[in-house]
Amino acid sequence: MTTMDSRLQELVERDRSHECQGFGQDHVCVRVVAVAKLPSRFGDFRIVAFWNNRDQKDHIAIVHGDVVGAEDVPVRVHSECLTGDVIGSLRCDCRDQLETALQKIGQMERGVVLYLRQEGRGIGLANKIRAYALQDQGMDTVEANLALGFRDDERDYAIAAHMLQSLGIGSVHLMTNNPAKVQQLEQYGINVSRRLPHLLPPNPHNRFYLETKAQRSGHFIDFTGLPRLQEQSDPVIIEGMPE
Amino acid sequence: MRQEVIVIGGGIAGLQCARELHQAGREVLVLERARGVGGRLATRRYEGQPIDFGPMFIHGQNPAFLKAVKGTEGVIFPSAWPRYLQGHGQPCQPNAFEGEEQRAILPAGLNAFAKDLAADLKVQLQTTVTQVTPDAEGFALTTEAGQTFLCRDLVVALALEETLALLATMPVQPELVGIQALLGMFASVPSLTLLAAYPREVPAPEWDILYPDQSASLQLISQDSRKRESPEFITLVIQGRPGWSAQRMALPNEVWAAELLKLAAEQVGAWVNQPLWTSPHRWRYARVDRGNELSRPILTTFDNGLRLGLAGDVFSPGGGVQAAWLSGSALAHRLLNEVRL
Ligand SMILES: Cc1cc2nc3c(=O)[nH]c(=O)nc-3n(C[C@H](O)[C@H](O)[C@H](O)COP(=O)(O)OP(=O)(O)OC[C@H]3O[C@@H](n4cnc5c(N)ncnc54)[C@H](O)[C@@H]3O)c2cc1C
Ligand SMILES: [Zn+2]
Ligand SMILES: [Zn+2]
Repeated sequence: MTTMDSRLQELVERDRSHECQGFGQDHVCVRVVAVAKLPSRFGDFRIVAFWNNRDQKDHIAIVHGDVVGAEDVPVRVHSECLTGDVIGSLRCDCRDQLETALQKIGQMERGVVLYLRQEGRGIGLANKIRAYALQDQGMDTVEANLALGFRDDERDYAIAAHMLQSLGIGSVHLMTNNPAKVQQLEQYGINVSRRLPHLLPPNPHNRFYLETKAQRSGHFIDFTGLPRLQEQSDPVIIEGMPE
Repeated sequence: MRQEVIVIGGGIAGLQCARELHQAGREVLVLERARGVGGRLATRRYEGQPIDFGPMFIHGQNPAFLKAVKGTEGVIFPSAWPRYLQGHGQPCQPNAFEGEEQRAILPAGLNAFAKDLAADLKVQLQTTVTQVTPDAEGFALTTEAGQTFLCRDLVVALALEETLALLATMPVQPELVGIQALLGMFASVPSLTLLAAYPREVPAPEWDILYPDQSASLQLISQDSRKRESPEFITLVIQGRPGWSAQRMALPNEVWAAELLKLAAEQVGAWVNQPLWTSPHRWRYARVDRGNELSRPILTTFDNGLRLGLAGDVFSPGGGVQAAWLSGSALAHRLLNEVRL
């Protein structure tokens, strides 16, 4: 076992009886419960499973290199998207965002992808599909989407902050195109020493972003004529995209 | 009659919304179709003895909601009822017995909770709104009796399908098209319910609620008299399952009522077939099932600044009485805090 493995394993021991006031409005508390090697096509990772006191969802940290006790650790927060991550849906850019994050971090000295299991929590997936159904009918009403409520950023970032604290990470380089996310994390006591823009490489599925014409009132309409939903609370930036 | 805010529907959602608006100093009028408030949190009386024929008990875990319930006079809390459950069938709200959920009853009938919420409110009963027309002045409401009302802020707090029916009376509005399409993807489930009373001498069972094992027809039998302090009668409330009820919605009451009584007798004993009194109730829109949940109420502002809010049990996760209450509360909060566009 490498020292990194043993240090992650120690977190499991340490957290067995962990209890705290919890983070955020919902007082979310998490514990590191299991750690294992996870070689992947994107590099050499460790996978860390977390228990939490709010729902039956096991959130995950995908860790590369030595992060326990480290400073300036590159971190990407990804919200689960079954349709994008698993099925490769083109109604959002989640899969590109996840793959790019894993690829980048896999090539760095160290880094973490926090994979938050937001779907199926409460009223997740069915309502997301209802939101798609509304779009299929050409209706993209803000109020309707908010009522469907398939996002909960406040809780996501509270969980993310606790997970980073549990991993003993001193300070992070947050990979996001949304500067507001830096404050969201800092508000929970995480030291964000830098923001790294999260640029996606162009591919046949996102090339339309490179044509400004495709943009209509803040929405990107793809080649099929469907709007691309921004599901990671992170605006999409493709390398070479005009400002 | 001109009003600042009108709330259509005096169920738990409408009452809680009106209450919070009233407490914040807004002038509110509640219009309610029935002869009393409470909607589906329903209690009626047989020879003076209360019988709950909507939900059998109030349950929830939200601290603000529980606090409101605990504030009702005479409430028995927590988990005092049901004390004895029988059978392994599914409760109507499976979450009622999960985790941190707390349960409460009221010896005076669950409806007392609604009456309590309405205590300081201006409520006009037996008033069915049949038409809503937004114009420059405000929302013009017409009632079945031909009365008219006008308001700048309108809250519709009805069962989902009733809300859609009322929205359909409005001229086509771009603001509403998406919302109507959204609500069209949700639905309530029905329940045919039979109330029955028996003399005290019958061999009443020892349970409070029976959830029959693997029954495609019976949802539950509640021995309502066990919620009362010194009941004169043994009373049962027999609820049909949603699918079973849907198939019989169009039949005459006597037909399905007789079926329900027979099914209950098979579960409980032959004496159930000999009631002193029965009363059928057809809940066309009893409740929303899991998976039919929005995360919050809807508030939409029309071009001329009129605001339309929608609340009710579908507008908060979990469904049921707690969701109705939370949706009303959240809508009041938004009406008070969101600036008019
Ligand atoms: C048989 C049964 C079992 C249930 N079991 C449970 C349970 O176990 N747990 C649980 O939490 N919930 C349960 N529920 C559901 C619960 O009762 C409802 O979800 C809740 O009471 C809904 O409150 P509401 O305010 O949203 O709607 P409602 O109570 O329906 O209020 C709407 C009000 O508007 C009035 N109205 C309708 N149309 C008009 C009009 N055009 N003009 C004026 N007024 C109008 C109605 O008369 C009604 O009073 C059950 C319901 C039933 C019927
Ligand atoms: Zn903790
Ligand atoms: Zn996605």
